[in-house]
Parts: sequence; structure tokens; C-alpha cells
Amino acid sequence: MLEVSDIAKTFNAGMPHEVRALQGVSLTIEAGSFTVVIGGNGSGKSTLLNAVAGTVLVDRGSIRLDGRDITSWPEHRRAALIGRVFQNPFTGTAADMSIAENLALAARRGRRRGLGWALGGVFRRELRDRVRRLGMGLEDRLDNPIGTLSGGQRQALTLLMATWHPPRLLLLDEHTAALDPRSADQIVRLSEESIARERLTSLMVTHSMHQAASLGDRLIMMYRGRVIQDFRAAEKSRLRPDDLLARFEEVRRGEQLDEPAAELLRRAYV
Amino acid sequence: MTLVVGAWTIGLILSLLAFGVFISFRVFHFSDITVDGSITLGASVTAVLLVAGTNPVAASAAAFCAGLAAGATTGVLHTKFRINPLLAGILVMTALYSVNLHVMGKSNVPLLSTHTLASYVEGFTTPLLGGRATLDIVGWEVASPDVAALLLVLVVVALVAGVLYAFFRTNLGTAMRATGQNPQMSQALGVNVGNATIAGLALANGLVALSGSLLAQYQGFADVQMGIGMVVWGLASVIIGEALVGTQQLGLVIAGAVMGSVLFRLLVAAALRAGLDPNDLKLVTAAFVFVALILPELVRRRVRT
Repeated sequence: MLEVSDIAKTFNAGMPHEVRALQGVSLTIEAGSFTVVIGGNGSGKSTLLNAVAGTVLVDRGSIRLDGRDITSWPEHRRAALIGRVFQNPFTGTAADMSIAENLALAARRGRRRGLGWALGGVFRRELRDRVRRLGMGLEDRLDNPIGTLSGGQRQALTLLMATWHPPRLLLLDEHTAALDPRSADQIVRLSEESIARERLTSLMVTHSMHQAASLGDRLIMMYRGRVIQDFRAAEKSRLRPDDLLARFEEVRRGEQLDEPAAELLRRAYV
Repeated sequence: MTLVVGAWTIGLILSLLAFGVFISFRVFHFSDITVDGSITLGASVTAVLLVAGTNPVAASAAAFCAGLAAGATTGVLHTKFRINPLLAGILVMTALYSVNLHVMGKSNVPLLSTHTLASYVEGFTTPLLGGRATLDIVGWEVASPDVAALLLVLVVVALVAGVLYAFFRTNLGTAMRATGQNPQMSQALGVNVGNATIAGLALANGLVALSGSLLAQYQGFADVQMGIGMVVWGLASVIIGEALVGTQQLGLVIAGAVMGSVLFRLLVAAALRAGLDPNDLKLVTAAFVFVALILPELVRRRVRT
């Protein structure tokens, strides 16, 4: 489904504040799998997601999705295949526009936007049904500006927007990081439900060890722009948050050696 | 009374300018000062075509199209060549000064003896008004051509406002509004943000040029200097309109822009009549916009302390 081969991305190349965000990442994700990517700050996990979404274009390597080479596609073109939920609830919605209008935008993802009414009667009925299913009582506030809602409510709607038409790939970019614990749990539950219902191929980035251990069927660990570990199925299901922490600690200790020595160790043991 | 009718007419004509400024400044958050050039472009294109004997409706439509092209140019400079919005506008505005001189062939084209949209409409309204030269409106005597012009402009503005409101509620229009509010989200939902911005600026400047076209036909000349400071004028109208309706709701904001434009023109007419030196007009307008821009923040600070 998604094939990422040897992609690299360097920001501010040749400058003092050069950041080598991705240093040769390869990853194949099968259709219907729910893959979680974990890593600390600067591990490249968000850049990986942005590279797949098309927000950043990679310096080398290729990205194929659904049998098509999308490496050079601009973001808005990839949107026909990809649904995305951002970390910040403000990023995923247009605050001054109504709930209905925001969802109407999502209902045209990957389709032509012509001069038809954005809020037709048929769409409104379906919208009410789908919003009611979120169980937040928002179905009676469809004409309110989406900016008047809480972060959790906005994130639930962004999730609905990303999956209004089931995408070939769903990207979740630390989408609960900005929420309070209760809302975060609720969003996690809604995400799991919609992924299971539509059998969505999903890629989720998180820095919560707990989520990494409990969600999905595959876990990728990233560190300094590389994939350092790939747990699948049975191995993944045995993982505990503590195991993950221990693994990160191990890598970090390796880093305290000088670069070539750390590289040597990594080749030998990782 | 003629003065008031005139102020209303010009106010309504300039509400098309206010629509344009509303689209670029408010919908797209793009400080587009191409406006100063495109309003003159609309006037000069219309003037030259009218002098050549073109039908006034066609000449006005041509002005709108010329404005579209000017706005699209600013949009391309910004989106394809990554030039800062303000600078892109300045470049196109500056270039338009020469373009306008070339279009007109001189710095001023009078339209006194030509057939304009206003005289065109008079053909329809004169029989309606019973062929009288003046009209009695609640005891005031008004020249019937003035009434014809006012009616014409009223119809045009109502039509444009209606179309604009409807357009912003279509799928395409909704996508354009979203682009201005949250480009990142729009991109992720498959909107080509660059193209939407270009289209929005084209539409905005098309309306501004149409405003210039009507202005030239109403006042009977096109002048290469007439666009100076018009963007501030439009912004003042939008700000007054927002204060009048006090909401972000689309339909009301559009209606507010019309009210703001007319009210501002009436205020200006009153101020000039009361003895304001016309040379100070732009200074006063700029000062007014400055105050309107900082006032909300000052009030907020007051409330907090």
C-alpha cells in the first residue's frame, strides 16, 4: 500500500543550523495495517509523516502509495488519497467557518469543487447523522463557528473530516498531544473505531509510550532520522511502555559515545 | 439634494471597491494594494472603449476582465515566485501606472460627449419618469439623469452583492474562504492553495476595476491619478461596515461593506461641505483607518485594566 524507499530530507542544508531530519528511511506498510511511529523530539517522525503527506518534498528516495509514485505530487493532489489529522486542533479546522462548512470542505476532498451549493439538503442530513454518531451533541450546533468548540470536539470533527470519504491512507500526527487526558482517550477511541470500521490503512505518530504500546499492530521506533526498530504483530502485542523506555535509554546511552563509535554499535546491535 | 444623491451614487459605486478590498484583505488576509492601479485600469479601459464607440455594457465588462488580469498577475507573483504580498501588489500597481497611460494614450480622457452606461440607462428611465427633466422627491428637486444613475448603480451593486454571496456559499467559494483562513488545512483537504489565491485576487481586482469603470462613467472622465489612496478608502468602508453589522456572518458583512461605503462617502461630502480642505482628504482618511485599526486593541486593554 505505502512504500517509502530510502527517503532523506535535510533542512537548511549547508547552514550552521542544518537539520538532517530523515537519513534514509525505508518502510513498507501493508493495506489495512495500523502502524504506530514513536520517537523523541528531532527523531524525524513528524518529518516522515509530512513527507508522506507532501507537506515537505524529500531530497532523495521515492514514495509510492496505492501503486502510484507520488514522490513529486504536491500536497493538495495527494489529498485525494490521504486523510490527515494534525496535532493542533486549530490546524485541522477553519475557526470562523461553521461546523457544516468545515465538513462540506472535507466532503469534496479529492473531488472537483464546482459551483454547486456547499451545503445541500442531502449533505446536511448525512452530516447530522454522522456528527450525531460522535456522541458529543454537536448535531444541533452545525451552523456554529467551529472555533467556539473545545479542542477535543474540534479534533473529533477533524477525524470525521479526514475519514468522511475513507482515505487510502490515514495519517494521525500526534493528534491527541494537545488535549487533556479525558479528551485524548475519547479521540483515541473514536480513531480506533473508525479505523476498524473502514479497515483503514493508518500511520500514527505519537510520543506517548502508552499509546505506542497499546495501539496498532505494528510499531516503528525512530531516532535521529532513522528507523531503529520495527516490532510486528506478536512481538508488538507483548510490548509494554517500560520496554519501550528501556529501549530508548539504550540508544541514548549509545549516543554518548562519539559518532563513529555509536554508528559502529548501532550497526552491530540494532 | 443633488449633493446627497451624488454622494449616494458614488458611495454605491465605491462599494464594489469595498467588495474587492473585503475579498483580498478579509477573506484572503492578503494586503493587496494592486487596487490603486486596478481601479484606474478599469476606468481607463472603459474610457478608451467608450470613446471608440463601444457599447457601455461591453466596455464595463472589459474593465472587469482587465481587473481580473491585474489581480491574477499579483497572485502569480506571490504564489509562483514567492514575493511578499505587499511587494507583489506594489510591483503590479507601479507597472499599471504605465499600462494605464498607454491604454489612454494621455493622462486624462474626458467622456462628456460619449454614450456612457448612465446615458444608456436614461434611455430606459426617461419614458418611465414621463420625460421630465427634474424629479420631485419629497419636496426636493432632483435632475432625472441623477436619479437614473443612482437607480442603475443600485441595481448593479445589488446584483454583484447577491452573486458574491451566492458564490461564497458554493463548493468553490467555500474552498476559497477556507484557503484564506487556514491554508494548511485547505491544502490537506485537496485545495490548490496557490490557484485559489490567484483566483481570489483576480476576482477582487475585477470588482475594483468594475468600480473604476462605473466611476469614470459617472464623473465623466478617467484620470491616471484617480486610483491614489483608493485601497485605504476601500478599507475604511469595510471597517465601517464591520462596525455597523458587528458580526462575521458573510451576508451581513457584504451588506455592511455597502453601508460602510455609502456612509463614508456621505461623511466625506458633509465634511467637505463643512469646510474641510479637499487636500486634507487623504490624510484624514488614512488617520481614520489608523484609528479604526488600533481602536479594538485599545478598548480591549481598557477593559482588562
